[in-house]
Amino acid sequence: MRRLAVLAIALLAAAAAHAEAPAVKETPSLAAQVKGGELPPVEKRVPSAPLVTQPTEMGKPGGELRLLMAGAKDTRLMVVYGYARLMRYTPAYELEPDLAQSIDVEDGRRYTIHLRPGHKWSDGVPFTSEDFRYWYEDIASNPKLSPSGLPEALLIEGEKPKVEFPDALTIRYTWPRPNPLFLPALAGPYPLFIYAPAHYLKQFHAKYADPKVLAARVSEAGVRNWAALHNKLDAQYRNDNPDLPTLEPWVLKTRPPSDRFIFARNPFFHRIDPAGVQLPYIDQVTMAIADAKIIPAKTGAGESDLQARYLRFDNYTFLKEAESRNNYSVRLWRTAPGSQLALYPDLTVSDPVWRELMRDVRFRRALSLATNRHKINQVIYYGLAIEGQNTVLPKSPLYQAKFREEWAKFDAKAANKLLDEIGLTQRNDDGIRLLSDGRPLQIVIENAGESTEQSDNLELIRDDWRDVGIELFSKPSQLKVFHMRAFAGETVMSIDKGFENGLPTADMPPLELAPVSQQQLEWPKWGQYYETKHQAGEAPDMPAAQKLLALLRQWFDSKTHDERRQIWEEMLEIHADQVFTIGLVAGVPQPVVVSNRLHNVPVEGVYNWDPGAHFGIYHTETFWMAPDASTAASDAPNGKKAE
Amino acid sequence: MFGYIVHRLLIMIPTLLVISIVIFTIIQLPPGDYFSTYVAELQSQGEAVDLQKIAFLKAQYGFDKPVWEQYLYWVAGLLHGDMGYSFEYNLPVRDIVGDKLLLTFIVSFATVVFTYLVAFPIGIYSATHQYSWSDHTLTFLGFLGLATPNFLLALVLLYVANVYFGISIGGLMDPRYLDEPWSWGKLVSVLQHLWIPVVVIGLSGTAGMIRRLRANLLDELHKQYVVTARAKGLPPFRALMKYPLRMALNPFISDIGSLLPHIISGAAVVSVVMSLPTTGPMLLDALRSQDMYLAGSFLMFLAFLTVIGVFLSDLALAALDPRIRLRGGVTR
Repeated sequence: MRRLAVLAIALLAAAAAHAEAPAVKETPSLAAQVKGGELPPVEKRVPSAPLVTQPTEMGKPGGELRLLMAGAKDTRLMVVYGYARLMRYTPAYELEPDLAQSIDVEDGRRYTIHLRPGHKWSDGVPFTSEDFRYWYEDIASNPKLSPSGLPEALLIEGEKPKVEFPDALTIRYTWPRPNPLFLPALAGPYPLFIYAPAHYLKQFHAKYADPKVLAARVSEAGVRNWAALHNKLDAQYRNDNPDLPTLEPWVLKTRPPSDRFIFARNPFFHRIDPAGVQLPYIDQVTMAIADAKIIPAKTGAGESDLQARYLRFDNYTFLKEAESRNNYSVRLWRTAPGSQLALYPDLTVSDPVWRELMRDVRFRRALSLATNRHKINQVIYYGLAIEGQNTVLPKSPLYQAKFREEWAKFDAKAANKLLDEIGLTQRNDDGIRLLSDGRPLQIVIENAGESTEQSDNLELIRDDWRDVGIELFSKPSQLKVFHMRAFAGETVMSIDKGFENGLPTADMPPLELAPVSQQQLEWPKWGQYYETKHQAGEAPDMPAAQKLLALLRQWFDSKTHDERRQIWEEMLEIHADQVFTIGLVAGVPQPVVVSNRLHNVPVEGVYNWDPGAHFGIYHTETFWMAPDASTAASDAPNGKKAE
Repeated sequence: MFGYIVHRLLIMIPTLLVISIVIFTIIQLPPGDYFSTYVAELQSQGEAVDLQKIAFLKAQYGFDKPVWEQYLYWVAGLLHGDMGYSFEYNLPVRDIVGDKLLLTFIVSFATVVFTYLVAFPIGIYSATHQYSWSDHTLTFLGFLGLATPNFLLALVLLYVANVYFGISIGGLMDPRYLDEPWSWGKLVSVLQHLWIPVVVIGLSGTAGMIRRLRANLLDELHKQYVVTARAKGLPPFRALMKYPLRMALNPFISDIGSLLPHIISGAAVVSVVMSLPTTGPMLLDALRSQDMYLAGSFLMFLAFLTVIGVFLSDLALAALDPRIRLRGGVTR
């Protein structure tokens, strides 16, 4: 079963790892603390093998970056924007080591993580394999702290990895089978943290702490037991504990609750620029909390230096109008869902007549052909979006034009012909076709009723579909109800976001393409079947769906990049041909407001969660504030492009 | 009197108990719970959700238990002064509420002072100068104040303040003072920002108070004892202040009952529009995200204040107005 051939792929970032590290320079804002003896000098603070990052434009350290957020919970976004990970994505969506000096992969199942010598937490304590051991043995394997066991990404068919800690800088995870989920999980915006600051958290762990002291701490915090206290304080992602040491470029300094959170530079951050200046450039990030609805207005009043969250496409004109008055520029970045909105014909709907019709590929193709995407793009999105199927975006390395264009060109004639071929030739007095049992062909499209955007889109589609003899009704409901109905097979068709990630690489699991979750509205019951390990739902009985599942399985067993690429392409091909979902338009622009003083923010970028971490992959640590706006304004157009 | 007070105090217990049941039921009524709302919110932003962590929290806070058990747990906590735990903020409720109360007090207190300072002179003036030219003007302004929706006024004033006076939009102080300890500069900044919410929140109250004071006073001014007092040569100002005004005040004293919870909760709608750091928006968010202990405990606190407020205003009325008897029909 196991192959003995060992294929070692060293995932080394070529430039960064091999370049001789330049001599480091002290950061001006920290000089006083170093002099006063509160901080060691910069040579002692950065790892002896720091990560040299090439910024688009060499910056100057200092300055303050102001952000607006809608709630105290949003402090977690600094972990997303900071984006310090064991592995991270480059702006071209390739993986490179970051916190780790390197990760050796053998056979896709043995991962050896090498840490940077001299790397320290933000409180100056060394970052070593003990932090990994503490996380694995005392957090993830502790039934009180992790009642549901290890995270999904660490289990391959329920099997745990063998984890070893050969020395202070080396950690090795070994699975019996390949685990392709491991590295992408480490690089996520909400990463799989396989380490934790042991020296800090041991104070709150029953195994290490003095029971009396711990009991006092528990009652002081107003929580129920030590496990709840530990989980509350171990907030590496939630980022609401100012005492928790971190590896991120900025460290939370304000204790919640507050309406303004300060993040100060991490004096022990591991990246430097080629001139030896320790990153991040920006000394302090200030996050002001305001109501989500007032954030566009406040941004327009110049109260944020970098804002995309809580801005919507329809704020664009307003923001643009105040651009010169408040000395910022509005950029339009692309968003990355496979389709902004897509229609989901439910292949597993309970009603037998509908089920048979939905499963007829000609019917799905006809619906897609009868939809005028160009009109939607022009009317709702000012023609700025990309029309076509729900599939990968042009920026993804897996993109092929035919995936997006197949069966997506508006052609009412061809649609009518297909519908006639199926045998839906009978019509009622209104010109609406009749189903095989005599009911009129009225499709109720259900949605969660969250935005007018969905109903606007449906309104436009309604007219087109009428022309081919199909009547469309929109039925908004409440999210929970919407899901319950879909899972129960009562929904004939629904409208929702397209594929979450339109920018996959071959190394990301093609989970969205195969029936593996009941959240997939095109086949909730098949998804249930997979999710519940065949306890509920129905087994996929369409050859195309079975093929997709088989391909997914192959992907998990695959060892090489080429193999995975081939599988991805085959799956995308099946989707394009079968039209399981009817995509409308994609890449709807996201307004990004950037102060004219802020440098190194790309003019064109992709605003995405995973991969992307919003601003994260564009190296927020190299963003810098010019003291004078006039110089920056002239440079802004030369900013780095996304690719 | 003593028996009356004890009686009223005892009646509060079942009242509050019923209120607590109603509050808890209403919070539980919408489908789902805090965590499902939270997951939906994350997913709508395209973010990943750690379902394991959520399962841990659900078990920790007894979401898997029946509703009545959750209710008893909550009420038992309240009796011990433990207001529960907010999931949204990940902190005990008392830590969150305490922080916002001070600013809410400032805003509400300033509003009350503003209302009284403006309404009393105007009300008295327009009553004593009924149907004069100035009365008509003030009446017109009063109706305007009553009729303008205050959130609209808030938006207009925010825009004007930002564009013409350069005051930051929303909030109660310049962003740079948010975490500072209190200082002269911070106080000035608060005062600069305070006038907008105070005017906006106070406007309809002021207008209403002017109308009521005018009407009440007019009733009294035509009574015989006023005529007699005047005929006997009492100076007009004294003849006004000594009796008719005192009589006209009764409705305002009974208003204290509702004033108390108002001061704590602030004007929610206006606070949301202006993003004031007061308790109103916090309560609204808590209700929306079904953060049940925060919402429940805070509503309970408001209910408690209302009950106390009504009680106090009854006592004050009894003390101030000798005509009021504790039991109808006993003395005749």
